[in-house]
Amino acid sequence: MNNMSSSNSQQQQQSSEARHDDDAVLTEFLASLMDYTPTIPDELVEHYLAKSGFQCPDVRLVRLVAVATQKFVADVATDALQQCKARPAPVVKDKRDKQQKEKRLILTMEDLSKALSEYGVNMKHQEYFADSPSTGMDPASREE
Amino acid sequence: MSHGGGESGRLHDKAGHSGKRKSRVSGDEFARAIAKIAVAQLCETVGYQSFQQSALEKLSDVTTWYIRNMGKTAQFYANLAGRTEGNVFDVIQGMEELGLSQGFAGASDVDHCLASSGIVTEIVQYIGKAEDIPFVYSIPPFPVARERKPMQSFFHICEESPAEHIPAWLPAFPDPQTCVQLSAGNEGDAVFNADKIEPARHHLKMDMSYMNLPQHFTSIGSEGPSSVTFGNSARATQGTESNPFLAAPLQYGEKEVSHLVPPARLSEEEAVRYPVEQNRIMDNHMSVLETFAPAIEAMKSRFCDSEEGQKKVLLNQRPAVQFKIRVGKNSMAGAPDLSPQKIGIENISEWFGKDSENDDKKRRAEKILKQSIENPSELAQL
Repeated sequence: MNNMSSSNSQQQQQSSEARHDDDAVLTEFLASLMDYTPTIPDELVEHYLAKSGFQCPDVRLVRLVAVATQKFVADVATDALQQCKARPAPVVKDKRDKQQKEKRLILTMEDLSKALSEYGVNMKHQEYFADSPSTGMDPASREE
Repeated sequence: MSHGGGESGRLHDKAGHSGKRKSRVSGDEFARAIAKIAVAQLCETVGYQSFQQSALEKLSDVTTWYIRNMGKTAQFYANLAGRTEGNVFDVIQGMEELGLSQGFAGASDVDHCLASSGIVTEIVQYIGKAEDIPFVYSIPPFPVARERKPMQSFFHICEESPAEHIPAWLPAFPDPQTCVQLSAGNEGDAVFNADKIEPARHHLKMDMSYMNLPQHFTSIGSEGPSSVTFGNSARATQGTESNPFLAAPLQYGEKEVSHLVPPARLSEEEAVRYPVEQNRIMDNHMSVLETFAPAIEAMKSRFCDSEEGQKKVLLNQRPAVQFKIRVGKNSMAGAPDLSPQKIGIENISEWFGKDSENDDKKRRAEKILKQSIENPSELAQL
């Protein structure tokens, strides 16, 4: 009995300490949020949160959602960028040999759909619309 | 459009997309445009140099979906805990739910503390290494709530309530003057134009308004003659101002119309023969005959050709109108003058239609002529 009670108290102490630590971390984190300005503006996030019914007078929560969204978009974009870089570059015969491997990094629907499918967003995009002569061509080689 | 300098340009997508975009107009355009700008900035930060238009739109749509989903989930967790306002733990739970597909550290722990959730640590790491690039534009808080001026109650306008059953805190009745105008213009919709009455109201006389109101409401309901009588006077005054086609028809003699000047000869003759009759009627009669003179001539020429009879009536300005019916000349002397003027055009055509060599018909013609001489009132028929 005594051992159990002591172990319980120990656990409680540990958990309370951990809780304090966690709270401290969270509090610090929320305070640091105010220093960081997310790229997604607060007004936009507030608008969409209000549309979905989430009420909170605290600005830090809005910032938290903004940062989470920013992280999500950045992750998706990074994955798409990796897809774009992983594709073999088209051979472009330039006079200067140095720039043969360089490629314009363009966010395309193909890369985006592949990146988003890993995040649970399934996108289907039309391959082409046959309304101009340059349809169906590789976008990198298409003239702008 | 340049976003903070760095993007070199946009690839314009296929023409079909831009056409579709214009047709889809929603009230959310402003927010979507801002989301597109923010996402473009983020892509530039990641390393992209340009993007397809449709890809950017798709990604911004996904972003807005993410934010809305976060709000919905956080609100759900708050309601589950019995609260209406969300707190940080609701948001963290929402983040966990949306991040489960990717996975985070500690996702499999059943009862882990939310404050030390793996999601939070990921966010902290992200903030640590990501650049702090604020949004390029400064946005006002939206959507802008327009303040509507509410209808003032009885209590505000005047102290007294018009009737016992109407409490003073109800909005006041509109001005009866505006009601009259509206019912004159558009009887069916007078009730729905209440909001237009507001700026026109200056001073409300409650007594007057209640005398007119029963009529006003019955006119709306019945849409019968009562409404016509109610708004007729107002309509006459208003209609003439606004739309001449809707004005009340003019009474005879109200407006001066130029009279047609008859030929001098005919009018003289008739004035001589029948001074009792009104000149105006004669004038009208003459004018009708004048206008139909060529038609009558054409008709007569046709009949003359087709039929055996040689009846000819000349309506031109000739001294004698010859009417050959093979009767004694004396009796028919005055006939030619009378027939085109007294007898109506229908009679003339009948005359020619019945042309035959029978004496009966000729006698009938004589009778008609005599009748026309005796009854000058036939003129009024023309």
